[in-house]
Amino acid sequence: MTSLLINALRRIHLSLPTQTAVKCFSTSSYNSNTLDITKKDWKFPPQYTKPREVWIENLDSIEEKKLGLFELHPAVYATVPRIDIIHQNVIWQRKFRWVSWAHTKTRAEVRGGGRKPWPQKGLGRARHGSIRSPLWRGGGIAHGPRSGKSHFFMLPFHLRIHGLTSTLSAKLAQDDLHVVRDLNLPSDEPNYIIDLIEQRNWGPSVLIVDDTDIAPRNLTAALDALPHVNVMPVYGLNVYSMLKHDTLVLTQSAAERIEERILCHLHSNTRKQQAAFKLDQV
Amino acid sequence: MGSRQITEKSLAMLRSLPRISLANLRDNPGAKKNTKRGRGQHGGDKHGAGNKGSGQRMNYMRLGYETGNNPFYLRMPHEPYYKGHHLRRQYPPLSLHALQSLIDKNCVDVTIPIDISTLVKSGFYNFFPDQKHFGVNLTDEGADIFAAKINIEVQWASEQVIAAVERNGGVITTAYYDPHSLFLLKDPKKFFQSGQAIPRRMIPPPDAIEYYTSAENRGYLADPEKISQERLKLSQKYGYTLPNLENEPQYTMLCERKDPRQIFYGLEPGWVVNLKDECILKPKDKELQDFYAS
Amino acid sequence: MATVWRSQCTFTRILSGKTCRILNNAADLGSKLSPTSQSVTSRKYSNYAHSPLVKHIKEQYEFEVVKKPPEWTYVQRLLPFDTIPQVTPKESYPSGWIPPKDEAKNLPFFIERTRNHELPIYLDITFRGMRKVSAIRKIEGDIWLMNDEVKEYLKNKYCRYVETRVHELGGFIEVKGDFVNALRW
Repeated sequence: MTSLLINALRRIHLSLPTQTAVKCFSTSSYNSNTLDITKKDWKFPPQYTKPREVWIENLDSIEEKKLGLFELHPAVYATVPRIDIIHQNVIWQRKFRWVSWAHTKTRAEVRGGGRKPWPQKGLGRARHGSIRSPLWRGGGIAHGPRSGKSHFFMLPFHLRIHGLTSTLSAKLAQDDLHVVRDLNLPSDEPNYIIDLIEQRNWGPSVLIVDDTDIAPRNLTAALDALPHVNVMPVYGLNVYSMLKHDTLVLTQSAAERIEERILCHLHSNTRKQQAAFKLDQV
Repeated sequence: MGSRQITEKSLAMLRSLPRISLANLRDNPGAKKNTKRGRGQHGGDKHGAGNKGSGQRMNYMRLGYETGNNPFYLRMPHEPYYKGHHLRRQYPPLSLHALQSLIDKNCVDVTIPIDISTLVKSGFYNFFPDQKHFGVNLTDEGADIFAAKINIEVQWASEQVIAAVERNGGVITTAYYDPHSLFLLKDPKKFFQSGQAIPRRMIPPPDAIEYYTSAENRGYLADPEKISQERLKLSQKYGYTLPNLENEPQYTMLCERKDPRQIFYGLEPGWVVNLKDECILKPKDKELQDFYAS
Repeated sequence: MATVWRSQCTFTRILSGKTCRILNNAADLGSKLSPTSQSVTSRKYSNYAHSPLVKHIKEQYEFEVVKKPPEWTYVQRLLPFDTIPQVTPKESYPSGWIPPKDEAKNLPFFIERTRNHELPIYLDITFRGMRKVSAIRKIEGDIWLMNDEVKEYLKNKYCRYVETRVHELGGFIEVKGDFVNALRW
């Protein structure tokens, strides 16, 4: 038990930035008895890459207190971060819901232009059939935007999963991922959260992900006033939100649930899921 | 020197780089091709469409037209030997080797009778009843390496296949399913969710009755005594000792066979399965029970 | 239980056409149905004019709801897998499938299996069969070391230099040529 902690501490000493390294040493020295280290038995155990270990922190006090050590599956939290897949996910999220309302009139819709302006031959002028053809000033637009154009498309299922795992791994590698025991705050003042973020050196914007979609009252009251700190249930996790907010804070149960669902998708037959959105590409 | 492992290297590299945000994302070079129309000296003028003709004017002739002479797709007349080929029953094949690999990888459960629905559930075999596919045809590729004791029900099997299965102590039956039943077997979950009662399986059409009533093909409508005689004949022909099934622990499993009017194992026609509440609705009306029992 | 319920006589009854009142495979009985018992003489039900009039159709049929039925195991058998089942170790694999070895995890590089427990070695054929590339995907660990070993192994086996392409971030090695069988085993 203690050897694992020491190994973990050694590893963290090497990897964490210097500000937090001092803190973790100070906390470990006096409350190593109360730390609980959870060793997990996985349904799909990690094959080669070592599982990642994170501290379980608390939101009760502004000061950071480490309540335990938690293991994360490498297939979800330690994949090679594919920036191009993250980019594709972001573009997909931005585009698939967008409907372009730009509209131009074609030569048939522009008012007028039914009559032949002058006879075909004899005048020495160019031949024309209507005054609203696209060649004319004031005429219709030939291949212009047509209103209500949807840009819906579905990124393949495995690419979306890969995007999620890449962002989670990137967040964990860049120290922007924190795992928290639960979301109980002592007060519902927004300033408490601001001080907490300031103290712990989290990025100004924080995304808190919980397992359920019902959050404690203190948390929702505090975050109501803060536009840059948001709470979200697990099923709403998406690449765009994770990148928009600087820090990602997961509850322990949320982290487990994400792992469980992503591993389930990585090890199941996803043909039926993909077939629903398979479009006939032209 | 840092780690040479790919994941460790890449994640360690990220630590010294700025935070990944929406502002510093990019796709791989060459991923997106420009869809804009070319302008200027090199991309403009005729825009790659050539001069005059249907290439520039986009008024091509219909596909297959050969400017007047008899086109290729009309030159060959109908031949009587393939008349009705599009209406014949088809049985997409599944080799014994593939079946053995499924059993090795634990995709099909050997302790329960194997059906076409179990094969489709494993994900490695698929068939389309709307394209005149009437079931699975077990081929004899891998008959020499096949070593599994199974109770399998297929729609077509040759003599070699039957011998290979029975040599290992298994049981093989050929059964007919009408297209509607095949749709049910292909996706039972979708059928149960539709809330319909399980229908009865129809009897084979006249040209298939002979196949499914003969004991050589282990038809499901054949006489069980004749089937055991044929088992003996095959064992003598191919030179293996016929294993005694009665003494085996899986005897009840190997003997499990479906009624000629039954589609799923264990579920009678007329029942409605409720997946959400995990209950089955069984008809009590005598009229319905007589209908479904006929 | 799903044992053989009926004997041959059921089938012969069906064959002789006594139950020709059943027109299609639908669950509801249809309007041309009569609840009277089947007669021994054959009736021409294929013709609307010759079929008997309908006597009485019940709107609602009686049924019983069986909670937690014993046949539920059969229903569960039919439902699709949630995740692909894990492989149980067996004495022999006649189909030639080789299970993943535990010693492989101690090597400096590692090739993960696909979700169907197969080796991720594929043959890409493009340009109408003129270009064949064997791709080894899902490589973790020291890919350059693996590249050297692959080249050496294939050189010894085929007595010629083998060109490869290493993509470190993607974790795959592409070998120019058709070496799938050699690489797999």
